[in-house]
Amino acid sequence: MSTPLTARIVEEHANAAAALPPAGPTAARRRTAIAALTASGLPTSRDENWKYANLRPLERLRFIPATATPALAATDLPAAIPGFARYVFVDGAFAPALSAPLDSTAAAVTPLAAAPDAGQASAAMAVQTPAPGAPADERFALLNEAFATDGAAIRVAAHSGEPVRLELVFVASADALTGASYPRVELQLDSQAHLLLIERHVSAGPHASFVNSAVTVDLGCGATLHHYRLQELAARAIVFDTLSAVVGRDACYRLHGINIGAQSARSTLAVRLAGERADLTLAVVALGERQQVQDTYARVEHAAPRARTEQVFRGISAGRARVAFNGKVVVGSEALGTDSRQSLRGLLAGPEAEIDVRPQLEIYTDEVRCSHGATAGKLDENMLFYLLSRGLEPEVAQRLLKWAFLEDVVARIGVAELRRQIEERLAQQLPEPAARAEST
Amino acid sequence: MTASRTPLLAINGLHVTVEGKQILNGLTLQVRAGEVHAIMGPNGSGKSTLAHVLAGRPGYQITAGTVSYEGRDLLALAPEERARQGVFLGFQYPVEIPGVNNVYLLKAAVNAVRKQRGLPEVDAFEFLGLVRDKMKLMHIEDSFLSRGVNEGFSGGEKKRNEVLQMLVLEPRLAILDETDSGLDIDALKVVAAGVNSQRSPERACVLVTHYQRLLEYVVPDIVHVLVRGRIARSGDRTLALELERRGYDWVSGEAA
Repeated sequence: MSTPLTARIVEEHANAAAALPPAGPTAARRRTAIAALTASGLPTSRDENWKYANLRPLERLRFIPATATPALAATDLPAAIPGFARYVFVDGAFAPALSAPLDSTAAAVTPLAAAPDAGQASAAMAVQTPAPGAPADERFALLNEAFATDGAAIRVAAHSGEPVRLELVFVASADALTGASYPRVELQLDSQAHLLLIERHVSAGPHASFVNSAVTVDLGCGATLHHYRLQELAARAIVFDTLSAVVGRDACYRLHGINIGAQSARSTLAVRLAGERADLTLAVVALGERQQVQDTYARVEHAAPRARTEQVFRGISAGRARVAFNGKVVVGSEALGTDSRQSLRGLLAGPEAEIDVRPQLEIYTDEVRCSHGATAGKLDENMLFYLLSRGLEPEVAQRLLKWAFLEDVVARIGVAELRRQIEERLAQQLPEPAARAEST
Repeated sequence: MTASRTPLLAINGLHVTVEGKQILNGLTLQVRAGEVHAIMGPNGSGKSTLAHVLAGRPGYQITAGTVSYEGRDLLALAPEERARQGVFLGFQYPVEIPGVNNVYLLKAAVNAVRKQRGLPEVDAFEFLGLVRDKMKLMHIEDSFLSRGVNEGFSGGEKKRNEVLQMLVLEPRLAILDETDSGLDIDALKVVAAGVNSQRSPERACVLVTHYQRLLEYVVPDIVHVLVRGRIARSGDRTLALELERRGYDWVSGEAA
């Protein structure tokens, strides 16, 4: 399925191939990815799981990796989180001067460019790498595979004891007309390893950057991963994100997504519960305003008995924004005793805003407990009147109710300083009229 | 109790429709500072509509009549302005708001009133002290402060919370809409103690109730019977006892 778009990607790749370092993905893997992309093409809005995404910007983007590295200072970055080692990547490339490496033997963090084979050290990674015939929704990861020049390979050793605390900051600075940013994370937790991982995507400057991130996660038996993903890119950025995870026996994966930034954002999450009693919580918050598009597609596959999934989504759409969450749970024939819950809720905060929440269940066995709830609506009139009747300004009451709507998901963020930063960021988006009035 | 000359609340010939249906039909009522009025009446007589219209709830069309509060047009004010001017509605069905905690709402409500009066925001420490005293009176536990507004509260807890809010806000005119419904006798006594504690010559209270039981503990100055959207009969507290004995049909029949 060669389209003008894929033809252009192939051509840009051919021109850039010689300059791409043999790091991260090897030349052979890049070629395989390009071949797979040529065969499958990128998704289009005719694809069922892509109809809410904004794919139009792809027509005018350049795909070669950005090269000019700007001079950034630590002050250009989000405030550090106490207790967390920090690794910073600018337009996909590791920036040691801005980083504060881990001081622990329990885990190894290796920039992919520094260790070409780091990513291949794990056999599991190779399995997860999308290949021809890979799930159609993970095709954007092929683009990352073809072009990524750097990234983080993280391995947490078995029985790591105290949780390892890591923060990855991916900074996008280039304009999409000059080059793209390809954040890449290859993460492996050995059995009984424990990791708290913050992954944030931010901008330096107001550029309309193109970011294409790919994250693979492999959780060994009994491993625990708390993964906080923040997308707070500048207002004109375009981002496509693909996360593929495999969760082993008795492993526990808590995945928190906070999607606030960018003009147009699509996150594709594919999690396979491969071991017995694997446990997944997927909690996503998305805010859209102006003409933003925030689209999340999550596919959770129960491939082993007695695994548990909880999907929680809270989205607020204002202005002319579109906020979508498409959450699919597939329960395979071997997944007896599956426990799956979905609670997807969208809030319309303007007459021209759009919310799409869509829970989907595919069950191929009996003896499962699956529940789902999905709602999309405006602020509750009764709640609003109750607050007004206590003297609160309408704007304050509305803001308070929006907060309350997000609260049960934000409250799950267990890292206090991170939660504070997120609340502050959310407060900017849900402005407090009282505070504004005081400052004038 | 000495009542001042100008009524605190004066309702004149009030006609209200809801979705085209006439609910209040020329209601006239005067409440002076210092007074406690009870408004009784059968289901569907318009008691709750009156309470909601006074608080400014949307969805009610006022087709005729006036309402003045402290000598000014109450109906021209937005709900939040009424609250800040000292009008309080205790809800028949208090709303659960998960994610907004009680102490936040109480503080925001108190500060809204203080701002109106040109006072600075309440001191956090002083405020907690004040709230705790009133919580004791209402038999509400400390842990309540950090819980979501009415979230998971029993019926009785919700009603006690309404009265607590009233005590903290110290309104000039409190309208309590069936605050007694669904309460057992112990809870009823607690609610009554709360209401009695804020009786004063400067303030007035309108109790909307279906049964006279509450009136044994909060003794009203005047009892009105509402039938088909207007006051059919007014009297002292013995009227409530007579109603209890003879039933609403007695007044309804007279009014027809």
